[in-house]
Parts: sequence; C-alpha cells; structure tokens
Amino acid sequence: MLARGNVGLVHQHFELVDRLRVWENVVLGREPKRGPQLDRAAARAEVERLSHEYGLAVDPEAAVESLPVGIAQRVELLRELARDPAVLILDEPTAVLAPTEIDALFATVRALAARGTAVLIITHKLQEVVAHTSRVTVMRAGSVVARFDTEKTDVDQIARAMVGGELPALAARLETVPKPALALRGVSGGENSLAVRDASFEVRGGEIVGVAGVEGNGQSALADAIAGVIPYSGAIELEGMALAAENPADRIALGIRAIPQDRRREALVLPWSIVENVALGDQRRPPLRKGATIDRKAARNLADRIVQRFDVRTPSLDASVDSLSGGNQQKVVVGRALSNDPKFLLVYQPTRGIDVGAAALVQSRLIEARNAGVAVLLISFELDEILALSDRVIVMFRGAIVGTFERGAIDRARIGALMAGAA
Amino acid sequence: MIRGLWLGLGLVVIAAAAMLLAGANPLLGFWALFRGALGGERQISETLVQTTSLLFPSLAVAFAFRAGLFNIGAEGQLIIGGLAAGVIGARLETSGLVAIPLLLIAGATGGAAWGSIAGVLRARFGGNEVIATLMLNIIAGLLANYLVVGPLHSPGATGAETAELPHSSWLPGLLPDTRLTIALLIALALAFVLRWVFDRTVFGYELRAAGDAPEAARRAGINLAKTAFLAMALSGAMAGLGGATIVTGVLHRFNVSLSPGYGFIAIAVALVGDLDPLKIILASFAFGILQSGALTMQAFAHVPKDVVSFVEGLAIVALAARRFVAGRKQMTALPQE
Repeated sequence: MLARGNVGLVHQHFELVDRLRVWENVVLGREPKRGPQLDRAAARAEVERLSHEYGLAVDPEAAVESLPVGIAQRVELLRELARDPAVLILDEPTAVLAPTEIDALFATVRALAARGTAVLIITHKLQEVVAHTSRVTVMRAGSVVARFDTEKTDVDQIARAMVGGELPALAARLETVPKPALALRGVSGGENSLAVRDASFEVRGGEIVGVAGVEGNGQSALADAIAGVIPYSGAIELEGMALAAENPADRIALGIRAIPQDRRREALVLPWSIVENVALGDQRRPPLRKGATIDRKAARNLADRIVQRFDVRTPSLDASVDSLSGGNQQKVVVGRALSNDPKFLLVYQPTRGIDVGAAALVQSRLIEARNAGVAVLLISFELDEILALSDRVIVMFRGAIVGTFERGAIDRARIGALMAGAA
Repeated sequence: MIRGLWLGLGLVVIAAAAMLLAGANPLLGFWALFRGALGGERQISETLVQTTSLLFPSLAVAFAFRAGLFNIGAEGQLIIGGLAAGVIGARLETSGLVAIPLLLIAGATGGAAWGSIAGVLRARFGGNEVIATLMLNIIAGLLANYLVVGPLHSPGATGAETAELPHSSWLPGLLPDTRLTIALLIALALAFVLRWVFDRTVFGYELRAAGDAPEAARRAGINLAKTAFLAMALSGAMAGLGGATIVTGVLHRFNVSLSPGYGFIAIAVALVGDLDPLKIILASFAFGILQSGALTMQAFAHVPKDVVSFVEGLAIVALAARRFVAGRKQMTALPQE
C-alpha cells in the first residue's frame, strides 16, 4: 500500500493533454525516471498493470485525442487511481456516456468502493443516485439541505429536497394538428468525428422531436447547420422554402429561434443588462427597432414580460445577466426565444446545469410552445428529458440518424442500444 | 473610475521617483508641469490644443475597442489623414467654406482607407489587427515621408513637409493669438455623437455585441466580418480627421513629424476613460496637461521631458495588463455546469 490520504478528482470536462499518449497522461507530474531520463518502460508497465487491475481496458500507446469520450474518461480515472486515492471524487461522470458505458463505469466504481476507497459522486441524475450510492447529500444554493440513507429514500424525496418544495408538474400536452414546418434533406456538415452526416427528417408545427444521443455524435454540427452558423451540404427548408446557407440573420427573420448549448457564450452578452440582452437577435426589427435606434422602452417592456412570465429572479431589469444564476440566465434565453412568435425552435440541452425548479419551468414553457403550434427540435443528452417531452424521437450515432421512433412506439431500451452504436 | 484614480496616484509616485533619479526636485517638477499647462490663458489654450489632438485618436481607439478590436494603428491613420489634408490643402486655392470641409473629409477618408487595410485583413482572412495596425504605423510614416519628399513634393517646401496651406484653408480660431481652433468643438461633438451611437443606435448595439460576445452576436445574425471592417474604417476615419485638424488648425502644413505619438498615447487615454467617449474627454484633458506641461518642466525644473513619456508608457502597460488579466480571468472562469 502506498501512502494513504490522496484525493482523486475525475473532472466533468476531462483535464487531459489531448496530444499526449495514454501512458504519458497517466504518469504526468510523477514520471518514473531512470537517471535524468523518463523511464518509458516503467511508465507503460505501470499503466498496463493499473488497467488490468481495475479492468479498465485502454491502449497505453493511443493518443488521447483519438479516443472516444468513454475511453478518455477511463484514462482520467486511471490517472487518479495511479495515485492510490483514499477519496475519489467523480464530477458528473455520466454526462457524456452511453447507457452501456454508464453501467461499466458504475461496475468499476463499486469495485473500488469494495476495496475501501471512499467514492463521492456529484450528479444531478437522481436515478443513478438511487441505483448506485449508499448515502445521499443534497445541496441547494451552496448549502447542504438534506442527508439521506439511499435505502430509506426515493427519487421524489430527493427531488423535493433539491427544489425546497413540491416540483411543479409539467404543462399538459394538448392535442395538436401537426403541419409541416422545418425539413432537412440530406444535410451534412461539421468537422471530422463531430460532423453530421446525411441527416433527413421533418419537424412539424405542434410537435417536439427529440434527438437522443451521447454527446459528441454530431449534435452540435446538426444544430449549427440549422442555426446557419456553419457551412453544410443538402437543404434545410422552412415551410417548403429552402434557407440560404450560413445566414443566421435570415433565419431569425423567418422565425427560427435557438436556445444554444452554451448560453454564456452563444446566447448572452454577459456584462449587459437583461434589458439589453432581450433585444439581441431582434435589434433590427420593430418593435425593438425605431429608425436607427433601439427602442429602449420596447426593450424594457419585453424584458419585464419575460421576467414575469418566466419567473426570472433578479434584483432589477438592469442587473447584468452575469450576476444571475445559471437557471435564471437560461430563463432569459428561453423567454427571448419564445417572445417573438417563433415558427421553429431549436433547443439544445435546455436544462443543463440549472436547478430542477428552473428546469421544470423551462420544460413546461417548451410544451406550451408546442401546444401553440411551434415546431420544436430538442437535442439533449438526457434520455429522460427526451422521453418526457418528445412526440417523436430520433437517435444520432457518429453523425448519422440511426433510428426514428413515433409516439406510442418509443422503446427506451432500443434507443439506449442505438445510442451506444448497436446496429 | 476609482481604480483610475489609484492608477493616477501610483503614476504620480513613480513619476516623482523618476524625477529624483534624474536628479531633480519632484515638487518643483510638478509645479513646473502645472504652471506650464495651466498657468495662464496661453498655457491653458495650448493644453486644450493638445487635448484636441489627443481626443480624436483616443475616440478612434475606443471605437474599435468597443467592437472588440485593438487598433493600435491610430498613429498611422492620423499621419495618413494629415497627409491627405496637407497634400490637397497645399494645392487648393478656394474659399474656406469649401476648402475646410473638403480637407477634413479628405483627412477622414485617408485615415479610413488606412484603417480599412487592417479591417479587410481581419474581416476577410481573420488577420490579427494588432500586428497589422502596428506595422501599418511604420509604413504610414515612411510612405508619408517618401511622398512629400518625392512624388508629391510641393514647390517651396523644405524638408519632409508640404508647402504652407493658404490662409483661407486654416481652421477658424477660438481665441485670438492662440492655436486653439474649432477643432476642439468638432472633437467634443464627435465624443457626444459616439456616446449616442453606442447607447442608442442599432449600429452601436451590434458593434458592442460583436465586441463583448462575438459568438452570441454571430448567432443573433450580426455579421462579424462586416462589423470588424466598419469598426476599423470608422476608427481610422476619426484618427485621420484628427490628423487633418492638426494640419489645418495647428501646423498649417503637413509635416511627417506632426504627431509626437498622439496615436499611441491615445491607447492609454481611451483605457483611462473606460472606453466611454465622455470620460475620454476628461482623460484627454489630463494627458493634454502632461503633453503641454512637459517642456516647461524640462526648462524650469530640469526634469527631462522624457519623464512624461515614461509615465505615459507606464500607464499604457498598466492598463493593457489590467485588460489582459481581466480577459484571462474570463477565459478561466468557464461556466461551471
């Protein structure tokens, strides 16, 4: 046994040197030496031993940048295990994994716990908490608000503790008569392993189409092509009219709105106030435009409506959005996207990193938009979210659409298998 | 602004230390600086001349900066603007009502053209505007020198300058027997117009969005390439206009050394003024005091006037460092999700 007392941390966004090999990453910072030289043989041997010991199969010679995320996570895990940690912290470890990879990860984690390692998992996926842990601590706004023994609690109780009350029920799904809205015809675009390939499907007004898939299987490229911010081949049509390639302004004018994946970088101007931010995208059209100027009163009214309707918690409309919590920032983004009668809504991970209360509100507003006849494309890495909101589900794997499920024929197990690459 | 005061205080202390090192009495030095800049009507008017010459390029730098572009080429744009006004002005015999607006427009156009070079490189090819504008400063100086000595040499001119402009083309003065002209009013008006553009107009809104959050701006339908080009061209126009006012209002001819580095000091002025056109007016006045008091300080307190350049240089380094540190913090403070 080596010295105990180390703490290992597996980051949500891996902290690996992409260009280095697997074994180089694992020994980085504590390289075995032979004289002044790096002892490659010893380093490789150590990685192979660890890999074998913990059942984490990985090629020590592979460059990290060439590995799929599930394997890259194993490298991150191996690096921490090499330090023989007494405590191992996993930050949102399943966010980027397919269902089968998740099972494998938890098998490893359980084996570690059985050997006497204390494992701390930070996650918002309550099903995983209930299925795999011994004890649960619930944090809200930086404080511990509840502690449970997993055996004596359930998902509902944990969720209530997270929200600090009852979770609001999702808005009811009304009958709609779907009519053609957005259609993709053989759309390909994006770079290398992250590209979307030959995607064809339709999203009709009054329905939510969910795109299921593990992160990094072409969803970003799909969203960027639809938003008109990357070049693509094939055609994207709105109500039968082909959209001009690479022209986001045109799309916004036609009623295509997006809730991008990175709200802080792609949706908001962080130092600006709520009032200034709600005008972004609509700055060239009335009512926000008045001649050559921005109509500040109209912008303020719009901000006020969004803050009311979306329950944005803010000291004032003039507060910078940077000062708002992630959930409240997202409410501003969703409110803005829904405020100007959109025809089509492109929604990417709408509840990522926000509290369950805000998430439920955002999801309800999406269902209400659908009820009102908006066509919604929902890209999410949370299968539960997809299944809760979607009328139809399509599955993406390695950039291609590998399955389509109509409402009433949605098969969770089959979707999970397709996400992991089953034929 | 509070931090600006701390910075000012720090610079005063360092300046005092520099004067001590140069073997002079700092108190005497500051007194001479003050008297030289504000000691009488003549001194104040000269300080305002310096303020004016700083205000144009400072607004230019701030304008580009708000759009996310670090234009450190205001010096070159100012020189080319002055060149255009001087070369045309020396050959133009017509009434002031025609000549003066024409020469100012020529200066703005020259500066805009020079700024556009970096603008096009940035917009079309993603070229770094810092490198481009920095290099174009050197090219501007050499090009101006070559042209006024060579192909565009004016009859009667000696050295690297044009002939004197006819009296009718001189900018009208504001105070008798001083070099202060209506250029001050033009610069002040420009500052107010820019404030309005930033705060109220769709164009200013898009410009700031492109500067503060380019990816969000792009996804909101703002054409980043077009914005970058316009920002550089208009920034250059402001600096060029400043050069034209020096030619038509102060020197009455173009001279290759018409600027003691206004375009560089402007970077510090714009940053001290928080990139806000109205605060930049005050910052220009503060730096104008330094510029115009420096010679008196040298003559009466035996403090080398280089101490002023030294302090201005320190201000640029300190403010630029603050910007970069702030930028880095933003980069490392990734969304924790």
